[in-house]
Order: sequence, then structure tokens, then C-alpha cells
Amino acid sequence: METLGFLIDGFGVALAPHNLMFALLGAFLGTLIGALPGLGPANGVAILIPLAFTLGLRPETAMIMLTAVYAGAMYGGRISSILLNIPGDEPAMMTCLDGYPMAQKGKAAEALAISAVASFMGSLIATVGLILLAPILADFALTFGPAEYFALFMLAFATLGGITGKNPMKTVVAAAIGLMIATVGIDNTGVQRYTFGVLELYEGVDFIIAIVGLFAISELLFFIEERAGGGKAKMVVNKLKLSWKDIRDIMPTSIRGGVLGFIAGVLPGAGASLGSFISYTLEKRVLGSKGSFGEGDPRGVAAPEAGNNGASSGALVPMLTLGVPGSGTTAVLLALLISLNITPGPLMFTQNADIVWGVIAALLIGNFLLLVLNIPLVGIFVKLLSVPPMYLLPIVTMVAFVGIYSISNTTFDLYFMVAFGMAGFVLRKLEIPLVPIILGLLLGPEMEKNLRHALDISDGDWTVLWDSGLAIGLWVFAGLGLILPYILGPLLRRRMQVAASTGGPEGD
Amino acid sequence: MTYNDRIFGVLMIVLAVAYGWGATQFPEPFGGSEAVGPETFPLLLAVVLGLSSLYLIVRPDPDNAWPWSRTGVELIIALVVLVLYAMLLQPLGFIISTLLAVGTLCWRMGARPVKAYVTGGVAGVVVFLVFNFALDLSLPLGLLSFLEVS
Repeated sequence: METLGFLIDGFGVALAPHNLMFALLGAFLGTLIGALPGLGPANGVAILIPLAFTLGLRPETAMIMLTAVYAGAMYGGRISSILLNIPGDEPAMMTCLDGYPMAQKGKAAEALAISAVASFMGSLIATVGLILLAPILADFALTFGPAEYFALFMLAFATLGGITGKNPMKTVVAAAIGLMIATVGIDNTGVQRYTFGVLELYEGVDFIIAIVGLFAISELLFFIEERAGGGKAKMVVNKLKLSWKDIRDIMPTSIRGGVLGFIAGVLPGAGASLGSFISYTLEKRVLGSKGSFGEGDPRGVAAPEAGNNGASSGALVPMLTLGVPGSGTTAVLLALLISLNITPGPLMFTQNADIVWGVIAALLIGNFLLLVLNIPLVGIFVKLLSVPPMYLLPIVTMVAFVGIYSISNTTFDLYFMVAFGMAGFVLRKLEIPLVPIILGLLLGPEMEKNLRHALDISDGDWTVLWDSGLAIGLWVFAGLGLILPYILGPLLRRRMQVAASTGGPEGD
Repeated sequence: MTYNDRIFGVLMIVLAVAYGWGATQFPEPFGGSEAVGPETFPLLLAVVLGLSSLYLIVRPDPDNAWPWSRTGVELIIALVVLVLYAMLLQPLGFIISTLLAVGTLCWRMGARPVKAYVTGGVAGVVVFLVFNFALDLSLPLGLLSFLEVS
């Protein structure tokens, strides 16, 4: 099979010593980022992008490192769910339900180990799925014309909020703002747009600066506002007593969770939180009375973890094959690709085969690394978790400053970053999601280019945008993506909340 | 209260109108106009933003509270520190400005002043050394440039 050959080449890239070293570094940093309070995966990857540049890494090495960070962050997120009952991010919410009760019973180490194994299985299954599905989707995507791409971008924006999203109109507002920022600069007909004669704006707004500002700086401001500098209670982890039987017991659960998570990850608009939710509820239904869900059942830890790691690998499928990310973190990875001068999309599989398959192989290797890192080193991560944010966040901010400064050695970029941070704070207060802004910044130029091509071909006839069956299908899904949250959203959100409250330690 | 979304909506409509008007002022590109000129996409965006902001005004979400009084002051201090950090990075040099900026931020977030500035100083020196020697990237030394080797 052709894919197998590519994959072997990919392993050749990923196993090169320096790539392996950076994968290890990335996996470690990623777990740390996932575990630390106040640093979500998107945030963490964003801060590390400038670092990848300043290190002068080759494209495939940079991509491998940050993919490992991405995979690691998903692993790390579970640590605070289990030990503190505080989910690091939304997908980790379901892990609290059984993880925290397990920790309360003095089985924290077991819960952490089980979740590591389940995460590993989930990612492994989803990576295999990625290997099988991605080339097919990439081939299919080659038939897309400019009109289809334009519709696809619309679909990406419409489904970004997710079915569980709160107010789809705010996603629209955010996307429009992001796209507007993307139009600043000299366009490809040579006309200056919205530069106001400022030299630094001629090349447009650097999205790395925007991302770091929006995520990292606004996070600092949020911590200051919530006066959460003191950190959280101390945690203790018991000594690990895990037998093979325990691992065997959670295997079927992990496999089911991984498959479901992968599907949720690939589909636009579903994402990791739905992945972990579905796999948890399904597991509860399948096992029914045989389990003790909500009271510290190991399978209740395994299911959502396998689900959310499966979903995060699955989310790479649309990002790699279509150049359309389905989540905040994959959007940040896309930012890295674009700044490495790699055009994401189906052509990447032929033109940059070494990078794509190197990354996929790195994902597989990264999983093994993470499993090996996580079981013995969990104590270190737990220690670092107790570093209070009042020291941590200023240092993170400083790293962001250094990173941005080292890209261009100008102070102008730093002011810009602070301004974006302030804007990010205000927007988050207004519950305007930031991810569509980032996506708008990233996809804006491509979107306009495709619109231009489509209309040039049709000689200015706008109906070309919905002329083919495929394009109509994409438009319909985009429409559904905006309308469904109004109908299904409240329902699903309520069920997730009910699950979260009744599954708690004191509930039934 | 539902002022936040309404005010934001009004501001965004103003932005949409200004942005759209700006688009109509672009000079015609060299080689004559085409089906999609430089102004087409921005005009589309202005319409989308205008309509979605109108929706926010008509059906706003409940407000989140804004941090007034002391917390607000802390936020302003943090922003001022960040701006000063950017401003002084080159003249004062990386190590000194980091000591001041990180130290002040740690302190304002609740650390004891001595510990806070020690953290800032150590972080500054470590990152400087890592960047200068391990990564071979020079950060500005500023006032400490007399320490420069080579």
C-alpha cells in the first residue's frame, strides 16, 4: 500500500535523533502546559511558536515538536481534573466525574495511570484512523474548486462554535473581526488597505503576535482580576499499585472511547468536549448497573480520556487535509504551518509529504513517549502544579515577550501584542470567542483569494459560489452549523450539566 | 443588565460602517477593475459585521461584571507595567527590565516583594543566558552592556 511506504518514510523523519529529541522536549513541555493552571493547549502552543522560530528549527522539526506539545497538553489536562476536581479545559470536565472520587478514595496514582493508558489508546486509535482517512480525504479535496473552498471556509467558521456553543452570532461577529484584521496590508493587486500609512502595517498583522497577545496576555489579566495568584491546595499522590488486570479491564472502554472520540474530532462542530461526553455517556449505558459510575469507576476515567485524546488526534484530519482547523489548538498549529511557508491543504500530502508523514509518525512516537513519561514522572508534574500562578504567569508573560521580540527585534510588535492582550480581555468579558478571530486572521487571505478566483472564472457571476452539488452541500452544513446550536445546544448543554452534577461525589 | 452587548454592538456597527466606507475609498488597482476588486471582500465583511452586531443589540446576552475599583486599578497597573516593559526593553536591557517587570507583576499578584523581585531577577538572568549562549540569540544588554564579553 502506498500509505505504508509514506509512513515508513515518515518514521525515518521522526526517528532522526534531533527530531526525536525535540519530540521528547515537546511532549514534556506539553504535559506541563496541559497540567499548569491557566495555560490551555492553544495558549501553550501559541507561546512556543516564537520559540520554534528563534531556535531556527527546520519546518519538520518545528512541526514535530509542536505536535508533541499538542498531544502532551491533552495528557496533562487530566492531572488537575483528577487531583483537584478542576478541569484544565472543557474536554477534561467529564474526567472529573470519576477521577476525583477515585483520588478521594486514595487511588489518585491509579486514576492517573489509568487515564494515561486510556489517553494512549485513544490517541493510538485515532492516529491509525488519521493514517487511513487522511490520504483519502486529501484525494477527495483535490476535486475542490475555488467556489467549494470558499464554501468550506464558511463551513469552518459556522461550525467552530460547536453544537454546544452558546451564541452563534457572537462567533459570526468574532469571525468578521478576524477577517477584517486579515485584510490590513497590501493586497495581491498591490493596493494598500487600512494601513493608514504606517510602515509596520504594510505586510499586514502578524498572526503570531495576535495569537500570543489574545491568549497569553489576556490570561494574565484574567488571573489578576480573579485574584487567583495564590494557587490551589496541595495534593498528595499515593504509591502506584496497578496490576495488568486493571489495565485489561479498561481496554474495551478505551477502544470504544477512542473510536467515538476520533469520529467526533473529524466531524466539524463536534470537537473534543463532545467526544469525551459521548464516550462517557455511552460507556455508562453499555455497562449500566455493572459499573459504579460517578463513584470512582476506573472505566469512568478511561472513557472520557480516550474520547478526548481520540478527538484531538481526529481534529488533525481536517487541518492537515483541507487546511481548515476545527479547534483552537489546531488553528494555532495551522498558524505555524502558514508561517513556515507551507500551504496547508490537499497538496501538502504530495508537496510536503515528508512533513505530513513525519508529523503523523511523530504523533505515534509521541504517544509512546508520553506514556513512558507520564507514568513514572507524574510526581514531577504534580509538584510543578503547585507552583502558584503569581510566579508562573509573569514568567510565562516574559517568555511571550522574549519570543515576540526575537522574531523581528522591534518594540512595535510588543506594543501590538499588549494591545491584542487588552482586546482579548475585553472580548472574553463579552463572551466573544477568540478562536474565530484567530481563524479569520489565518484564513482571511485564502478565503479572499478563492472568492476572487471563483468570480474571475465565472466572469463576475456570484451564483458560481453555489453552483455545484458539493458547494451546495457545504453551504447547507454551514447553515446547519449556525442554526443547530439554537435548537440542540440548550438541550445538550443541559444534559452535560446534569451528567456533571449527578455524577459528582455527593450525588447519585 | 444587558448593556455590554448593546454598547459593543453599537461600536461594532460604527466600525463596520467606517470599515465599509474605507473600502470604497481604495484606488482602482493597476490594470483596471475586475469582478472582485480590493474592495469587494471588505464590503462583504462590513455587511456581515453590521448585521451580526445588530443582532447583538436586539438580543443581547446578560452582562458579566466589569472589575471596578481596586481590581480595576490592579489591571491598569499590569497594563502599564507591560507597556513600560516593552518601552524599556531596549534602553535598560533585558535583564534589568525583566527584573522590574516580572518582579512587579509577581508582587501585584500577591507575592512578597523580596521574593517577587528575586524571581524576576533570576528569571531574567536565566533566560538571558539561555538565549545568548545556548541559542545564540542576542537580547539587548542595555545598561549592563559593560559586562559584554567578546
